Amino acid sequence: MEHLIIGFSNVLTLSTLFWVTVGVTLGYVLGALPGLGKATGVAVAIPMTFYLHPVAAIALLIGIAKGSAAGSAVSAILLNTPGEPSSAPTALDGYPLARQGKAQKALKMGLFASVIGDCLSTLVLIALAAPLARYALLIGPVELCAILLFSLTFIGSLAGRSMLKGMIAAAFGVFFATIGIETETFIPRLTFGLLELDDGISLVPMAIGMLAIAEMVIQAGNAQKLDREAAEIDDSARPEDRRVTLAEWRRCLPVIGRGTLIGAVVGILPGLGASVGSFLSYGATQRASKTPEKFGTGMIEGVAAAESADNAVVPASFVPLFALGIPGSVIAAILIAALVLHGLTPGPMMFVEQPQLVADLYAAMLCASAILLIVGYAGQRLFAQVIRVPIRLIIPVVLFLCCIGAYMNTNSLFSIYLMLGFALLGFFARKLEFSFVTFLIGFVIGPNLELTFRQSLQLLDHDPMRLAAHPIALFFGLLTVVTTVWIGRSNSRLAARGVTPPQAGTNGPAEHSHI
Amino acid sequence: MRKTNRRQLLRAATAALTVLAGLCTGPAIAGDYPERPITMLVGYKAGGQTDLVGRAAAKVLSDQLGVPVNVVNKPGGGGILAAHELSKAKPDGYTLLFHANSVINTVPFLMKRVTFKPEDFEYAGMITSYQVGLAAQKNAPYDTLEEFVAWARENPGFSFGSLSPTARMTMEVIARKEGLDVNIVPLKGGGDLLNALLGNQVDLVWSGGIHYKYPDQLKTIVALTTFRHPSAPDVETIDEAGYPLGMDGFTTLILPKGTPREMLERLSTALKAAETDATFAKVVAAANIPIMYKDLDEAAAEVAESYARNKTIFESAGIEPQ
Repeated sequence: MEHLIIGFSNVLTLSTLFWVTVGVTLGYVLGALPGLGKATGVAVAIPMTFYLHPVAAIALLIGIAKGSAAGSAVSAILLNTPGEPSSAPTALDGYPLARQGKAQKALKMGLFASVIGDCLSTLVLIALAAPLARYALLIGPVELCAILLFSLTFIGSLAGRSMLKGMIAAAFGVFFATIGIETETFIPRLTFGLLELDDGISLVPMAIGMLAIAEMVIQAGNAQKLDREAAEIDDSARPEDRRVTLAEWRRCLPVIGRGTLIGAVVGILPGLGASVGSFLSYGATQRASKTPEKFGTGMIEGVAAAESADNAVVPASFVPLFALGIPGSVIAAILIAALVLHGLTPGPMMFVEQPQLVADLYAAMLCASAILLIVGYAGQRLFAQVIRVPIRLIIPVVLFLCCIGAYMNTNSLFSIYLMLGFALLGFFARKLEFSFVTFLIGFVIGPNLELTFRQSLQLLDHDPMRLAAHPIALFFGLLTVVTTVWIGRSNSRLAARGVTPPQAGTNGPAEHSHI
Repeated sequence: MRKTNRRQLLRAATAALTVLAGLCTGPAIAGDYPERPITMLVGYKAGGQTDLVGRAAAKVLSDQLGVPVNVVNKPGGGGILAAHELSKAKPDGYTLLFHANSVINTVPFLMKRVTFKPEDFEYAGMITSYQVGLAAQKNAPYDTLEEFVAWARENPGFSFGSLSPTARMTMEVIARKEGLDVNIVPLKGGGDLLNALLGNQVDLVWSGGIHYKYPDQLKTIVALTTFRHPSAPDVETIDEAGYPLGMDGFTTLILPKGTPREMLERLSTALKAAETDATFAKVVAAANIPIMYKDLDEAAAEVAESYARNKTIFESAGIEPQ
């Protein structure tokens, strides 16, 4: 505790605060620009971290991680082009809100949810890093496989109107995820001799093409209508459309709490990632809502659910890094590099040998949360003006940024070709009403599900009876079955009653997902 | 006005001549090398161990050579893409690859599509080595490979964490010779490996050296290199244990074929400074990476020798490139 106080006094210096602010601003702006994001921010930051003072370097990186997670909501809400796949669920309700003239409200809710999720998750990290990480180690491949299966099933229910089309899209996602060198035998699958495909299709250009470029093509087709609408709705002048009302706060706070919890748990576990967190939270909120059919038409809770979980993942993913030295994310891996460069080895010994540095880190993270609120609040006023810009001016800028973002991912043109290919797929998916959300989830979860399943087969010695020694896995397996039956029943009931909402849907998996 | 024009013309002519002269003599104007920034490719994503060492080395090179050395990450296929890009680059000393030499002395025996040979590149030197070994939890009931084999006979169906085809091959050769029943668990990357080992998921893993960061929880059973590990000098090598499977890996400065020798020498000398550089030492010490400098001739010899040695190992193990 006294370390933390000294930590604050170390961090609250002009130079450290400066670098936190630089990081948060850079991350927020990059996140807010469609096509750019965390990956771009990291690319910019790496060379700098090698010349900065350790606390400053770490502050910069943490700022970028937090800023980009919050900033990606901006482009999702204003342009329907999520900067990162993890903000895709934000766009589902954020964009309709913006088209209704409530962009300011959606942006504010997104920012508040981000900051609350971020701050609470940081506190969890500070209080519980060591014990939590030890607990996370109990989650081996067998347990992880069951959790992934559950996540896939649960999120799969976000498919939209047609379950069948949703499943086809998810299967496509899994299919594209199988491309590349297979981990067990190292035989290349579906690479057609292209060395660039050996490591599989990279998430960044895929997501940019699928989410941003395809959306821009669609919007180009509707340009006149969109511009006419923009002129009509403009930014609503009514004050209650510009801010979050008390009633909305009351509805959203439990949603944010749940989102934070889901995000924190997902962040601590290895191999899940921010996308799973935000999708799970959005799905749980929709399922728990009394009016699930209204999601996707501009429910403020949807924005709160996705953004709180998205940002809660960031600090939580540092838990395995600080407590065990295992990087949980790309930013965490870079952070290791920055720490090691200054002669510090992340891991359990860090708490014993360098308690002051750990405290400095924590203090920097809390400062970053506060600065995020300020930068985001100031930034979104500016960004909200984008809604008035005619779409014909936005499209070329977005396309340009997307190309840069895709290129910087691997420093090769191949990424841009990939991006264009998936833009085509994303375009037809939208036109034919296939859910690209389930596609993304299939793509993100697919490879890990396959890997952990194969690991489990080996670890269980191909003997299903050995599962008895893995109660957590059994629990999630059971949960998957229950969820499937329950979703099937509530869907058929929904179909039978037309648009009547499923009354039984208020508790169920949403409750279980607290675990 | 006229005068300036003539002067400009003269200057242009001189410039053209210089270019022509340059073309005639080839890229051998090594005297002033380097006079502009150097691009250093790294075949892994930013933040990994090799990337870390590469960036620290780039800083040393930059200090020594007096020009910026820019690191460009070109991930893909464990360095294959970066090596391909290098082989297409101009042999002018301004594009180089910092990578594990395994991309040349191991990968070709595993992948049919990769046909690199030692003589396809030039080498300016090697700086660090990988402490590859078999690792287990500290409280595991075996300390040597011999004890492990005895234990494994009693425990059929034990699990072995493998990161690569080489790791799989190593265990398969031992298991075949000793008649062991092994479940080989595929692991993806160092983080996955640490999770599996620290979480007691597997009994033994093939580690690229990352396990040395956890001296209180993990121990080395046998070194898979031809030399004993500086971090665990008491642990015997796999050759000493009776299995001729030892393979060495070094981070190597690789250049395109045809790079003039003077440039290689300049880089080699600059790289040697890393051996005594305080920052470089701090970086590699924190990651338990031993410095093992080799100059350009030693590096070329090492690549050629290890290529021949590894070829024998893979062929006698019955591994076909895929």
